[in-house]
Amino acid sequence: MAASGVGKVVGTTVKPIFSRDLSEAKRRVRELYRAWYREVPHTVQSFQLDITVKQGRDKVREIFMKNTHVTDPRVIDMLVIKGKMELQETIHVWKQRTHIMRFFNETETPRPKDFLSKFYAGHDP
Amino acid sequence: MLVGAALRVARAGLRVTGCRAVLLPARFEGSSTTETQPTVRPKDEVTQKHLCAFGEYVAEILPKYVHQVQVTCFNELEILIHPDGIIPVLTFLRDHTTAQFKSLVDLTAVDVPTRQNRFEIVYNLLSLRFNSRIRVKTYTDELTPIDSLVPVHKAANWYEREVWDMFGVFFANHPDMRRILTDYGFEGHPFRKDFPLSGYVEVRYDDEVKRVVAEPIELAQEFRKFDLNSPWETFPAYRSAPETLKIEAGEKKEDAK
Amino acid sequence: MAGALRKTTTGLVGLAVSENPHEHLKILYTRIIAALQNIPKDAAYRKYTEQIVNDRLGLVNSEPDVQKLENKMNSGQLEEVILQAESELTLARKMVQWKPWETLVDEPPADQWKWPI
Repeated sequence: MAASGVGKVVGTTVKPIFSRDLSEAKRRVRELYRAWYREVPHTVQSFQLDITVKQGRDKVREIFMKNTHVTDPRVIDMLVIKGKMELQETIHVWKQRTHIMRFFNETETPRPKDFLSKFYAGHDP
Repeated sequence: MLVGAALRVARAGLRVTGCRAVLLPARFEGSSTTETQPTVRPKDEVTQKHLCAFGEYVAEILPKYVHQVQVTCFNELEILIHPDGIIPVLTFLRDHTTAQFKSLVDLTAVDVPTRQNRFEIVYNLLSLRFNSRIRVKTYTDELTPIDSLVPVHKAANWYEREVWDMFGVFFANHPDMRRILTDYGFEGHPFRKDFPLSGYVEVRYDDEVKRVVAEPIELAQEFRKFDLNSPWETFPAYRSAPETLKIEAGEKKEDAK
Repeated sequence: MAGALRKTTTGLVGLAVSENPHEHLKILYTRIIAALQNIPKDAAYRKYTEQIVNDRLGLVNSEPDVQKLENKMNSGQLEEVILQAESELTLARKMVQWKPWETLVDEPPADQWKWPI
């Protein structure tokens, strides 16, 4: 019984989240990107951010480009779902300025890479 | 939850059509087996028989979805079902005259990373009419959506949002799927076993930019080690015992046929 | 009229007293049986539900007094029994689409229900 169970599971097809194939998933990504692109000016205005619209759109693009290596339609769908939720939170101004500005990582100091700067930093995490 | 599943009176042969009616859990047939329970708990055979009978009833009516029915040592009836059957099984339990589990008490998930379908989704139901409870379990992985229970039980709405937030299980057709417990902009799902105890970011107020900022946390690797075994393993011998019981139950059943 | 007082309230919020519970129940039960005709005869759901429904229909037909009927059915007040019958009816109609009497859709992975791991 156990053996047949394993064999069967390997053969089954996976259940799609929304998209049946890659092109459909890509279409959803483009739709989400457009929505974000249009939303950026309103975001900058309503949150009174200290950035230009151009900077905001560049950031959107950068975040989207971070996931270019993903090819599984289900993973893409899941990312799109999460992106949509973020967008919804932004549109309704449920977020605050700090949540938006978190994307920009302004205060992060770059990690020390080579030996000497690690030594100067004092500890080696 | 952990202990509840420990002593299982599993009837693995449920889907074999012939050997359904006569089965009584082999666990209660003889007292000759050595006592493996860490504490002695009085057995309530009447309740247990009731639960077994109802479990078999459900399994007989819904053979398409039910994998296994078991009664735990705390007299809790558990029905293990295929994820396709969530809506049918729970609707059946709600609407059938002899079930009437009208109330969804709890809905949660359990993460077991070693399994192929790592999440167990657990539904606890209560029947006010018959004063009884039932637990329905199903499974999914990170990417397989599960049917939302909101059309059947309105109470599932926030529970499902919680499970989505804490485990990242997506519920299809949920009317209002968004985060419920974590902060906006939070990344990751904290109840997953591979989520570090320290989290990924630390939050502090920055005086220069005059707002709260989040920065990636720095922690030595050894602090993130994650170990499923409890250091307080009081009954190490007991850990593997239920499984042998289960096999035994299956074999006895074959003999009885 | 003689001994039995007319029921004025069910005592449950949102549940009005049924004017003619017997008629109501008879209609519902015949509908359930009609809905069950679409299910194969050997399906356990049809077998058990027909049994329950026929039992209750027999009681409804034989016992005209509301109070005694409630006692005989032992399932709450008649208004609640009507609710039960209504949900059973919707369930029976849904069951026709779901076909739960078929064989198991898919086996679980071997270690799915094994606990402790």
